[in-house]
Amino acid sequence: MLAVLAALLAVCAWAWCAHEQWSTIVPAGLQIPHVDVHRFFSASLLRRSTSYERFLDVDGLLEMLAPVAVLAVYACRGQRLMRESAAGRIGTGILLALLGFALVWLSEVPFDLAALWWERRHHVVHEGYIAGLFGSFLGLGVSFVWIALAVALAMALAGKMRRWWWVVAAPLFAALALLSAFLSPYLITKTHPLRDPALVAEARTLEAREGVSGTPVLVQNLGRRTTTVNAETAGIGPSQRVVLWSTLLDGGFSRAEIGVVMSHEFGHVARAHVLKQVGWLALFLIPGMALVALATRRRGGLGRPEAVPVALFVFVVLELVTLPFFTLVSRRYETEADWSSLQATHEPAATRQVFQRLASTDLSDPDPPTWAYLLYAQTPTLAQRIAMTEVWEERGSR
Amino acid sequence: MAADIPVNTQLPGRGPVRLVLSDDLERKRLTVGFRWLLVIPHFFWLGIWGIGAFVAALANWLATLVTGRPPVALHRFLALYVKYATQVYGYFLLGAGPYPPFDGRPGYPVDVEIDAPAVQSRLTVAFRIVLVLPALLLAGALFGLPSTNSGSSGQLFSFSLGVAHVAAFLGWFVCVVRARMSRGLRDCVVWGVGFGAQLWAYLLVLTSAYPDPDPAVVLGELPRRSDPVGFEAGENLRRARLTVLFRLPLAVPHLVWLALWSVVALFAAVANWVATLAQGRSPAPLHRFLSAYLRYQAHVYAFLLLIGNRFPGFAGGAGSYDAEASIAPPHTQNRWSVAFRLLLVLPAWFLASTFGSLAWMCAFLAWFAALVTGRMPRRLLNASAQALRYTLQVSGYVLVLSDAYPYSGPSRQAAATSAPAAAESAFG
Repeated sequence: MLAVLAALLAVCAWAWCAHEQWSTIVPAGLQIPHVDVHRFFSASLLRRSTSYERFLDVDGLLEMLAPVAVLAVYACRGQRLMRESAAGRIGTGILLALLGFALVWLSEVPFDLAALWWERRHHVVHEGYIAGLFGSFLGLGVSFVWIALAVALAMALAGKMRRWWWVVAAPLFAALALLSAFLSPYLITKTHPLRDPALVAEARTLEAREGVSGTPVLVQNLGRRTTTVNAETAGIGPSQRVVLWSTLLDGGFSRAEIGVVMSHEFGHVARAHVLKQVGWLALFLIPGMALVALATRRRGGLGRPEAVPVALFVFVVLELVTLPFFTLVSRRYETEADWSSLQATHEPAATRQVFQRLASTDLSDPDPPTWAYLLYAQTPTLAQRIAMTEVWEERGSR
Repeated sequence: MAADIPVNTQLPGRGPVRLVLSDDLERKRLTVGFRWLLVIPHFFWLGIWGIGAFVAALANWLATLVTGRPPVALHRFLALYVKYATQVYGYFLLGAGPYPPFDGRPGYPVDVEIDAPAVQSRLTVAFRIVLVLPALLLAGALFGLPSTNSGSSGQLFSFSLGVAHVAAFLGWFVCVVRARMSRGLRDCVVWGVGFGAQLWAYLLVLTSAYPDPDPAVVLGELPRRSDPVGFEAGENLRRARLTVLFRLPLAVPHLVWLALWSVVALFAAVANWVATLAQGRSPAPLHRFLSAYLRYQAHVYAFLLLIGNRFPGFAGGAGSYDAEASIAPPHTQNRWSVAFRLLLVLPAWFLASTFGSLAWMCAFLAWFAALVTGRMPRRLLNASAQALRYTLQVSGYVLVLSDAYPYSGPSRQAAATSAPAAAESAFG
């Protein structure tokens, strides 16, 4: 009886947290009409962006499925690699996990190279194949540190707590995710502070309007690597900062348009979107870890290294299954940041102009097919964003 | 410490290019002091001879490509050139005492024997200049090679210091003070010189035997030592291709853990230094902790450098890994040597940096070999293990685990003993 009550309480707490994180400042019941993309984009640009994105969508889909296939085989046969370890129970588990992710990386390489070839062909990315591959290989080392830490924690807990390790592991992993989010801004390289005094003044004004005064704004030099335009918000609390790609400031965008982008990012800061995303991860980690614990029971539980390949497989499958939900959350927060930016700048024309420009600089398909939208789209489509700008404008004029 | 091989060494079965060592380690201070000047006529003569050797080498390459065997006359001329170059570098780098003859005649304390012409594969002859590249990279680390650097004033000529050159530099001070070269440094020098002779013989198409950096092959039998800090690579040459391919990223968690452990080890080393200075021996708990740290360091680097096959544990447990460091229990240490440990270690540190380059170069080449064959080449394993053994001894010396000075020469390790080996010289 007590267990049922505790479970009910946990479900209620989970639902309440989810509800709190789901709410945004975008007016409830806001109807976003479908806009005719031909009103805003030329036919040739639409053709080009559609062709460009479709290749990347299919390539990305294959890249997503390949690790699942690799890990399915690895779950069956990976335990043979235990003989390559002299590291004891937890160390061997770490090795199996690292090798599993190494195989995943290997399975993704052809698709990454294909994507790079396609992006280079469309002059969107300038990075060389060797540099891309080598950079990705070295990046694997950084990921391995986190994976090793996570596996060591999970296996140590599973060794002590047997079937209930996930109850402690889920919040611990959430804490790790929080730490990772906190540290991530310090791993962004090639940055410098915003130098243009007028833009600095504009940033200060917008920060004040959004209620996030003092947020550092950095510029990341990426002009030699890509022509795409982007900006991001990284970090939590004291590490929080807005990073603008140098491609945004190379003269193609007006000051008002840059202001719109900065304001959008300040919107993320004001609404604590990074923290909320970690919150969603924490919420999903609880049932996710429970499922991993359940799936690894046949191999003696996660306390045993031979269970690690199975755990990886289950984890990656869960990641794939929950992907549409996480992209939905991301789109919801991007919509909120757009709305927040419109409220702060009152610049619907400049906002619309930004979205129109993004189609040509990034070759983003303004109206992608539903499957690609559900799987990949971290932001609303350009058509939806323009439509929302028009709705905001109409509401303002009323 | 006991070197169980006679000073005059000539061992068969070491390939067609064999180093013959009959050096007694005695050096005249005067000739050592002015060695750089004394060797100038030899370098001048070597340069002139080199012009002839270049032309002869081209002719030898063509003739061998056509007939499959080097002509006797050309072979004799080029072999003599290699012998002479070996003697000159042996003298220059303090590997020998007497002034060498100008004709490369046999009998010099650092000499080389080259077998008579034999049939060679035409394919390897044709691509000799390409095939020699990995050996050249190794020679750069072991012996030192000229190179160019791009500076603000354009291309600059420079020289990458190899183990042999640094050993000679340190050996110069030893000889000036003691009128005797240390065995370890001399062996380092002749290891480099001997490998250089093999390289030249291969490049000049005198032999088809690929240069072998294994010190046991270059020098013959190695002295068996029982140093307080030792290192033995395992016998197993099998390597799992998957873990070889991802060796570097797989090692990253270990490197991070090692870095964190190093922070604690730094404080422990300082405490150990103070305690050893006061008591004359390292306190058991600190010695145990620092030994575990040093063993873990050995495991991680052995894994990273492909000396070991399996993924090591994170605790540095004794006997837990394929390639194992042996560390003697605490023993009485000379307080003077403890007090000035950081100063005393500087020469060893200098040499250890070149050994580090050698180990990395071996690992770089072995990575490709192991990925293709699934085996670690024995020759690279042994060279790399010597380099790692020396760097571990330097670390053990810095951590005040022992007052035995790191032994620089290639050696075989017996089990570590509680008493330190009687160091042959301050630079081992």
